[in-house]
Amino acid sequence: MAEPGAEPASPFPMATESQKPRPRKAPELPILERRNWLIHLHYIHKDYDACKIAIKEQLHETQGMCEYAVYVQALIFRLEGKIQESLELFQTCSILNPQNADNLKQVARSLFLLGKHKAAIEVYNEAAKLNQKDWEICHNLGMCYMYLKHFNKAKDHLNNALQLSRHDLTYMMLGKIHLLEGETDKAIEVYKKAVEFSPENTDLLTTLGLLYLQLGVYQKAFEHLGNALTYDPSNYKAILAAGSMMQTHGDFDVALTKYRVVAYTMPESPPLWNNIGMCFFGKKKYVAAISCLKRANYLAPFDWKILYNLGLVHLTMQQYASAFHFLSAAINFQPRMGELYMLLAVALTNLEDAENAKRSYEQAVALDQCNPLVNLNYAVLLYNQGDKKGALCQYHEMEKKVSALKESSALDFDPEMVDVAQKVGAALQVGESLVWTKPTKDSKSKQRAAASSKSSSTQQPLGSNQALGQAMSSAAGYGKTVQLSTGAGVSTPLAKPPSLPLEPELGSETGPEETTSSTEPQERRKEKRKSRLTTD
Amino acid sequence: MSLSSKETNSKWLDAHYDPMANLYTFSSCIALADLHGDGESKLVMGDLGMAGHTMRLKVYRGTGLASESTLLDLPAAVTTFLMDQNEPRTPAVAVASGPFVYIYKNLRPYFKFTLPPLDANPLEQDVWEQAKEDMIDPLTLKEMLEGIRDKAEIPLSVRSLRFLAQEVPEMESFVNIHKGQPIKRQTVITCMSTLKKNMADEDAVSCLVIGTENADVLILDPEAFTILAKMTLPRVPAFLDVMGQFDVEYRVTVACRDGNIYILRRESKRPKYCIELRAQPVGLVRVHKNIVVGCSNETLQGYTQKGKKLWTVYLPAPLMTMSLLDQKSRGFQAVMVGMANQEVHMYRDKNLVDIICTQDVVTSICFGRYGREDNTLIMTTKGGGLIIKILKRTAVFEEKDISLGPPVAQSIRLSVPKKTRLYVDQTLRERENPVAMHRVFQMDLCRLRLMAARAYVKALESSLAPVTSTLQEPLKMNAVNTSAGRPSINLLVSFLYDRSLYAMKRAFFKAPMLVPGLNYPIETFVECLSDKGISDIIKVFVLREGQSTPLLTAHINMPVSEGLAAA
Repeated sequence: MAEPGAEPASPFPMATESQKPRPRKAPELPILERRNWLIHLHYIHKDYDACKIAIKEQLHETQGMCEYAVYVQALIFRLEGKIQESLELFQTCSILNPQNADNLKQVARSLFLLGKHKAAIEVYNEAAKLNQKDWEICHNLGMCYMYLKHFNKAKDHLNNALQLSRHDLTYMMLGKIHLLEGETDKAIEVYKKAVEFSPENTDLLTTLGLLYLQLGVYQKAFEHLGNALTYDPSNYKAILAAGSMMQTHGDFDVALTKYRVVAYTMPESPPLWNNIGMCFFGKKKYVAAISCLKRANYLAPFDWKILYNLGLVHLTMQQYASAFHFLSAAINFQPRMGELYMLLAVALTNLEDAENAKRSYEQAVALDQCNPLVNLNYAVLLYNQGDKKGALCQYHEMEKKVSALKESSALDFDPEMVDVAQKVGAALQVGESLVWTKPTKDSKSKQRAAASSKSSSTQQPLGSNQALGQAMSSAAGYGKTVQLSTGAGVSTPLAKPPSLPLEPELGSETGPEETTSSTEPQERRKEKRKSRLTTD
Repeated sequence: MSLSSKETNSKWLDAHYDPMANLYTFSSCIALADLHGDGESKLVMGDLGMAGHTMRLKVYRGTGLASESTLLDLPAAVTTFLMDQNEPRTPAVAVASGPFVYIYKNLRPYFKFTLPPLDANPLEQDVWEQAKEDMIDPLTLKEMLEGIRDKAEIPLSVRSLRFLAQEVPEMESFVNIHKGQPIKRQTVITCMSTLKKNMADEDAVSCLVIGTENADVLILDPEAFTILAKMTLPRVPAFLDVMGQFDVEYRVTVACRDGNIYILRRESKRPKYCIELRAQPVGLVRVHKNIVVGCSNETLQGYTQKGKKLWTVYLPAPLMTMSLLDQKSRGFQAVMVGMANQEVHMYRDKNLVDIICTQDVVTSICFGRYGREDNTLIMTTKGGGLIIKILKRTAVFEEKDISLGPPVAQSIRLSVPKKTRLYVDQTLRERENPVAMHRVFQMDLCRLRLMAARAYVKALESSLAPVTSTLQEPLKMNAVNTSAGRPSINLLVSFLYDRSLYAMKRAFFKAPMLVPGLNYPIETFVECLSDKGISDIIKVFVLREGQSTPLLTAHINMPVSEGLAAA
């Protein structure tokens, strides 16, 4: 300090003459905090090396008494992952200055990071005594209680925090607790408030959008996800969710362009490649679909949804042996899903293993609650095997499911399914009223022209004997389409002669049928995937 | 300069770049002012030097260093201001370092202002008074000071804290040296800014506004250097921004070390509004009436002057420094943000209006009149370089965001894995005869399972496995007792070999008690009798006393004897 004053370059008369009686008996004690500002500047510039040097100098000069230097050193240790060391230093700080709530807060924070939530709560309570109205203390207490699974206390503290000062993070955590408790409605309420408070927070927007998606409120979901994408066009979650919604509506090209952004930022995301694969599937580029799905499967080998989709695509490609492997792998990971067994049964039917196919269908029927396709396909198999009684039974099951679905939602049924159901009904000679009213109701919504014309054409022949024969043969032909509609190919041993001329026709038909029908399960995949993303 | 040649449509002219300028400074230590009243603006810079030495106050004129003078301590802030109405109207330079503000006029030292000492703790004073008259010994002094430290509202002075840190033998001498002095508590300056006194003109007289380490904000009279106003903050200030006039109405915005921003107004001793940032502020700039703050979590946030949040911009890299770009001729104001990715972004509200790529990470940045050019951008870099750029006179900043539109990544093609011809062929093959493939596979799978089961049964039957199948003697052949806690006793080890080929010193052992987890080497010496260079298998059995079936069997494939191989 004294030398530069003596240098000729800066004659500083005031400094040297009057003010500081430095060379007297008692040496001037340096001010403890004299470099704090520099330490702080280095710290916020993330220049930790320079910061450490400054801290070391100051601590050396003050013999470790400088509270702020120790404090920043502890912060740096924490950033470097040395949490135990940082905890010790923060404790030193709180000894140096017991009145400072910040020191206690940091001690608690380090305890929290070490997973000692109970100890952290104690220290936070201590800190709360020094500083009553601190948002951070309330918020962090809430976090501690959340990890201790005391959700009610956690919610109390987080609500307190929100009353003191509103922060996005607190809303986020409060919503998360509601989700952990399974209260999606309350979580949505919280996120709604949060979005009102901070309309540009993409995380909040995305989470809310995903929650709506999970509940099936597509309009609102799309609105929020769209907002999120306006503010941050490369938001990974929002793009995936919005892309899957576009896929649902058949906008495969738009979805693919959106996915490009994600593929750039997160090239190793299994859901991304799954969705890209299904986009290609929708566009009938099956080879690309398979390679994308295989990449997804490589990245996440234990994800049954990807295996499911792989199975589906292979069924479409008439690679039944491969489809069998993917589907059985999927079943190993997810043994409680009826649709998987159904697809497996379709594959087995095509592999001419009728016995196992039947067993698989039985399993599918036992597990499935609401998908009429399962029963319909089973009915077709039974019919083709000549078990009319069983087929009839399954047909009725299907009708039950259809009517239940109609009551619960205004969902449009896949026209192919409706069509095939009509044929099967005709072939089985089910009571006319029952059979024919339902499909026409279906067709009302979507496929009026096609379905009704077909139903009328088959309605007539049912009356006469001669027509019955027609219906039979047509049913056999359509029997294939049934299976095709679920992603299967030619099988039916019954209709040998007509199958030959039908084949080329079928080949051309398979495309549209499969895509329309198979996007259905695929969409469902997406939704499930989304729900998983939200919980992430 | 390759960068500038690439960016022909850049709004900036490269005026000067000196990578070896050897400057180490922050935005708070840079100012532009017409120091000599000759109509030519100079650059004043407080250089922190290297490792706390060679601190200099440097003045640049044009591209060269005009003058430099040594500073006694690291400068925390450098600013220029007009002290009086005297002609010529040359601004003074104020350098804040430690507890002092050094005022230079005409680049000559003119005055030194010292922060007023803080009140010492009366209890502490009493205690030291007693020590001075030798009424108490150092140990009692220590105890009393510790008691004061834990409870006191006013913290202890440096001397007491130092004393508490002393070892017992040194206490006496420490007290003797220091007891004669009165107790002093001094604080240091952390940030400094200026505030117009009573007129809004460009060349009006200004007051200094000082933030201190003990969380005060002081406003100093420009001529007498008395304290005109003092306000107290909850935490230590790190960045200051001041607007208004002292005599009329003013507003001091302070970013503090606890990550909060406090807004003070005239006549208020305490902050009026508080903004909680949740991250450390790295820079504070006021654009018109709004506050723009850059945070260490790589965001730029805009607030109203009442603390209501307006917007957030996510930055691509950590923020290094921030400053205001004020293009007075067009009435355009923007925030310049220097980032760790060697880019300077300019934001008009939340819209990115321009990007400058620099040769190094910018650590300080300043925009204003330099020389005779009104719109000059001065930057210093981490490596000590100095960059001067001039805004083209034709340059107009668009009000809208240049980065809008789809992200760049959207135009990058997806890398869909390609499939080979072989794959297609195999697919076709599978399509043709899926049934046969499936059946063959299923049959082979069954066979494989059968073979595995057979081999397993065989191994179990002949105790060939390296792990015993009986629960009583869980052993491995390498003599590790794998049971959890039970030792194995009464075990025998026997060797079976061709007597015509090998001779063994001991072909039979009684194993000691085998405690789990320990290795028991049981060694024997095998001699090869044949000179034909052939080898055989030696079988090792582990047996239980009194039983003929072995617990374990191992086959040792003997190598050809080395002696023979060498011969």
